Amino acid sequence: MTDIIDKAAMALSAGLMLLGTVGLGIVEILAGAPYSPVPITNEAGDVVATPLISPQIRTGIVLAGIAVLGLYAAYKIVTPLAEDAKAGHETVAD
Amino acid sequence: MSYQSGNPLVDEVEFALDGPWAAYWIAFLRVVTGWWFFHAGITKIIENGLSFTYGSAYMQGMSGTALGGIPVWMGNNLAWLIEPGVPLFETLIGLALIAGAFTRLAAFGGVIFMTLFWVGNAGFGNGLVNSDFMGLLLFMTMIVLAAGRYYGLDAVIEKLDVVEQHPKLRYLLG
Repeated sequence: MTDIIDKAAMALSAGLMLLGTVGLGIVEILAGAPYSPVPITNEAGDVVATPLISPQIRTGIVLAGIAVLGLYAAYKIVTPLAEDAKAGHETVAD
Repeated sequence: MSYQSGNPLVDEVEFALDGPWAAYWIAFLRVVTGWWFFHAGITKIIENGLSFTYGSAYMQGMSGTALGGIPVWMGNNLAWLIEPGVPLFETLIGLALIAGAFTRLAAFGGVIFMTLFWVGNAGFGNGLVNSDFMGLLLFMTMIVLAAGRYYGLDAVIEKLDVVEQHPKLRYLLG
């Protein structure tokens, strides 16, 4: 059970964070200028091109991925340790 | 693997990155770092091809840094390399990191770039430890942890016969 939750948390969090950064970044490049999530302005300051996907959406997706890790951390805090759990000396971050 | 005893501050520590969360996080950092450079490189290529003239102009203005006259000399004399090299190498470094292939070699290239950015941008308004420096540390972390071995192609490449016969190639892979 724990193993499934671990893997789900990893997959969902990495999936969301990579979607917001890399996945939608590829879409933004393929959609043409601007290639970064900022509008292009002319010399008069008028916006002449806007990003296809707003940075609010992209940062929101990344933050959702981070929130998944936060939920996982909360889950680990409230669930009891496994009987065979001990201070980890053999691996890091487990 | 490092096993240290006799140091009360360390206890028994063995760094084996076989923990699933460690592998997950190192691979994630590698892909995001790679995307960062790939985006910077590919958008330069789309917009200006392989003639990034700002690169040599930028280095010509890098006087009075810890690198002495090296960047200015490079800007004056290596424009033929810098102008196509910046977009090309940024793109290739990014692709290599995303795929996890030749990770240490690619990350070394990233260290060169970020060293020039950190020193050249000199955005030290909030201290020496700024986002450029953090980027530099990210590439160094890729090298130290051999990040390509985790969900990366280097895990496969390092098992090839040529690498088995020349194990020092792992210093460029990993």
